Amino acid sequence: MKMPKGVEILPHTADIKLKVTGESLPELFLTGLASMNRLLKPGFCEEEQEVSRVEKVELEAPDSTVLLIDFLSEVLTLGSLNRSIFCDCSFESISDHNLVALLEGRSVNEVDLDIKAVTYHEADIVLNDQGNFETIIVFDV
Amino acid sequence: MSVEIHVSDLIQLDRCLWEIPVSTRPDMRVPARIYASEALIEDFMQDRTVSQIMNVSTLPGIEKAAIVMPDGHEGYGFPIGGVAAFDINEGVVSPGGIGYDINCGVRLMFTPEKYENIRNKIPELTHEMTRMVPRGMGRGGPIKLSTDQINQVLMRGVEWAVEQGYAFEEDRIRMESNGKLPDADASFVSEQAKKRGHDQLGTLGAGNHFVEIGRVEQIFHTDAARAFGLFEDQVVIMIHTGSRGLGHQVATDYLRMFVKKLPEYGLNLPDRELACAPINSEDGVRYLKAMAAAANFAFCNRQVISWEVRKAWENVMKSPGDQVELLYDVAHNIAKRERHRVNSEEKELIVHRKGATRAFGPGHPEIPERYRKAGQPVLIPGSMGTGSFVLAGAESGMNQAFGSTCHGAGRKMSRRAAKREVDAQKLKKELASMGISVEAGSFAGLAEEAPAAYKDVELVVDTVHEAGLASKVALLRPAGVIKG
Repeated sequence: MKMPKGVEILPHTADIKLKVTGESLPELFLTGLASMNRLLKPGFCEEEQEVSRVEKVELEAPDSTVLLIDFLSEVLTLGSLNRSIFCDCSFESISDHNLVALLEGRSVNEVDLDIKAVTYHEADIVLNDQGNFETIIVFDV
Repeated sequence: MSVEIHVSDLIQLDRCLWEIPVSTRPDMRVPARIYASEALIEDFMQDRTVSQIMNVSTLPGIEKAAIVMPDGHEGYGFPIGGVAAFDINEGVVSPGGIGYDINCGVRLMFTPEKYENIRNKIPELTHEMTRMVPRGMGRGGPIKLSTDQINQVLMRGVEWAVEQGYAFEEDRIRMESNGKLPDADASFVSEQAKKRGHDQLGTLGAGNHFVEIGRVEQIFHTDAARAFGLFEDQVVIMIHTGSRGLGHQVATDYLRMFVKKLPEYGLNLPDRELACAPINSEDGVRYLKAMAAAANFAFCNRQVISWEVRKAWENVMKSPGDQVELLYDVAHNIAKRERHRVNSEEKELIVHRKGATRAFGPGHPEIPERYRKAGQPVLIPGSMGTGSFVLAGAESGMNQAFGSTCHGAGRKMSRRAAKREVDAQKLKKELASMGISVEAGSFAGLAEEAPAAYKDVELVVDTVHEAGLASKVALLRPAGVIKG
């Protein structure tokens, strides 16, 4: 499967483990979201689709790593509840501890991969040698 | 904290039991133990299973040892195949030690028919079960539960299904915990979780979930097989699924809460996915009640699928659906309040089993009366195209591993590698040539679940048999597979 730029698939016996990078915190979050969407249904977000659902997400967390995992979990839940994939996202605000995001979702009959959860396992946002934000994300599938 | 471990670092306590001593890492509170034969132990060195079980051994209130079964492999937080028991006063409860698919489990049903007499009907039966049992990602079923109904399912488990005509009373008493965890409280399950579950009762889901028609190929223990109602060449039906989106949401909700409250609980963990709460804290109690509710939903889900299977049987065989009897239903992702002996003292514990099956030995009062002399039925699905096993819980397993055993074959190849290396169309033809009819949602899904992606289930089961965790009763071979 081809993943978005800045994403590397790492070995994992049962689940899906990604290394995700971004030049900024918002870019890291958006790349994480794009990766999850690609896993759910490859190519879906590249197609022209009508927006069927708009959601506003407001979150607080003790640090940016928890904020990222909670953000992806929240979007996964909203997608499951509304049978949608949220391909587009803009941040009204984002910091290490909170965010306000506007999400645009498109209806989907059935996804290709059942992601049960976005886990905290090995997640840790750090600045890498290139000065980019980087973290592991493990999806329970 | 990371310590690289090799087989040579392990202490071999017995032919099938290996220990990582408590002194290996300063934060370990108890040793970590791995059940594996010589043939399987090297597999555990290939991924992060060992470091994950060492992390589990650091959790407060853990008793005796953090244990991995022979089908174990790396997961997230706890490894798959993990068993850990915690003192109810000093210990913690960790949603990651149960998994997101709360009460994922297996049930086995048996029919009065011999395979040789109905083998020509297996493809039709497989196809009809595919039609009757909704499957796939996010797919809802024909049952739409109101808020009141879903609360009833969460609180009462299979009692609700009996009342609604989806189950016989005899089904209920042939299930672990009689299909109902008594501590359930639906008010601690979020509205989001209930909404995700409202149309998912009686649905299989995706991934490694399945309905499988099989036949009894070999009996190892005649008396136990007779007690379980099994005979050679008998047609049986196995169902593997869990609590669907409802359970995933319960786990997600509480993990998110616990991660944020770790400083309040005074916990510093080696992995945030081990996030937990003291068992006796308000949050811990709430999670256990919500988890029990999700477990009840899963028991009910497998029961409603059984009802769908019985309808398919009626449609194809023109025989009553109640000919298909439930043998037993086991959970393999769950935490249970149980009493076990620790250092010669009987204690009340919360036993976490994540990819591990309860396997109580003969005479235990929680085993249905008709099976009590033989031991608890234990159901071990193999990978598609290989065998599955029926085992009986053994007395010696009660003290060794808190009355627990393995839960399946155990993955050894990543899904990505399986998709890369397995030609799914060729696999389907190979299975057909072996007399196995397969209905899969997609070729990619079929490749992910190929036998080559799993350990040899016979090696796994031989290990738990030899270790005295459970005894072999019967070997089942698949004839028709409906993959989620």
